[in-house]
Amino acid sequence: MDVLREYWLFLLPLIIAQFVLMITALVHIFKHPDYRFGSRAMWIVIVVLFQMVGPIVYFVFGRGEDH
Amino acid sequence: MKHYFVFLKKELMEYARTYKLLILLAVFTIFGMTNPLIAKLTPDLLANFMPGGMTITIPEPTALDSWAQFFKNTQQMGLIVLLLVFSSVLAGEISKGTLINLLTKGLMRQAVIVAKYGAMLLVWSISVGLSAFLTWVYTAYLFPGDGVSQLVFAVFCMWLFGAFLLAVLLAASTVAGGNYGGLLLTGLAVVALLTLNIVPGALKYNPVSLASRSMELAANAIDKSVLYPAVAVTIPAALGLIGIAVLVFRRKQI
Repeated sequence: MDVLREYWLFLLPLIIAQFVLMITALVHIFKHPDYRFGSRAMWIVIVVLFQMVGPIVYFVFGRGEDH
Repeated sequence: MKHYFVFLKKELMEYARTYKLLILLAVFTIFGMTNPLIAKLTPDLLANFMPGGMTITIPEPTALDSWAQFFKNTQQMGLIVLLLVFSSVLAGEISKGTLINLLTKGLMRQAVIVAKYGAMLLVWSISVGLSAFLTWVYTAYLFPGDGVSQLVFAVFCMWLFGAFLLAVLLAASTVAGGNYGGLLLTGLAVVALLTLNIVPGALKYNPVSLASRSMELAANAIDKSVLYPAVAVTIPAALGLIGIAVLVFRRKQI
């Protein structure tokens, strides 16, 4: 993949941004046992598998209320 | 005015606490960086995935392709994420009853609506500004020397359409009940506006044109002045919607 080697400097911040979203969502999932629907395992799979969209869907629809 | 700023601050802190700010900033940062890269790498990627021996000729990408990605992504995913994230901003507080305390302590009802709109508008402005800035920086590096005309006005039109949609969302949230009632009504309003384009001459004044024709603007296919009527309709329409939201919210049982 020459393309990757050539543009890694441009791709790096992109990957970091995706990663920050994913990690924030994962931390939240582990800290909170209550979800509006779904289970912990389901949300982990969604957040890890679907880059960007997974964390958005979790925070908008899945996140339970703070106590 | 004091009510307004106090509530605005509370609102912004809540966006940070409920991850709304993080989602929007992250998404628009990702878009901002992806747009030029997609434009630049598409020919390479296609060449890599083509079966051996097959060659296709794609014209060399330009800065305009990069901005085409920007307008496409902001218009579709960007606006959808924006509305989704802010969909429960009013309904959530009504259903949880967190407003009752503040209102009985003398917080003015119009301050709630105006501050909520102000806070959403601020976050949207930062998001779209950030995305446009990153696209601009990446484009300047990846496509040196290419200029794009009428760009600032095209981005402004996109921003204005987002601002208009937020006004629709807020007004819809005061009218419709439930967590997703406002979102549903906003979706219907957009469909109605799109359908309105069937009427001859409506395209010129339709707020939707601000988003859908922003690419033509950047490509220099149409002149700025073509969108002036739509701008002239959208700004009072957004303000009017906020006015309606205030009026409805004043009479609303909380």
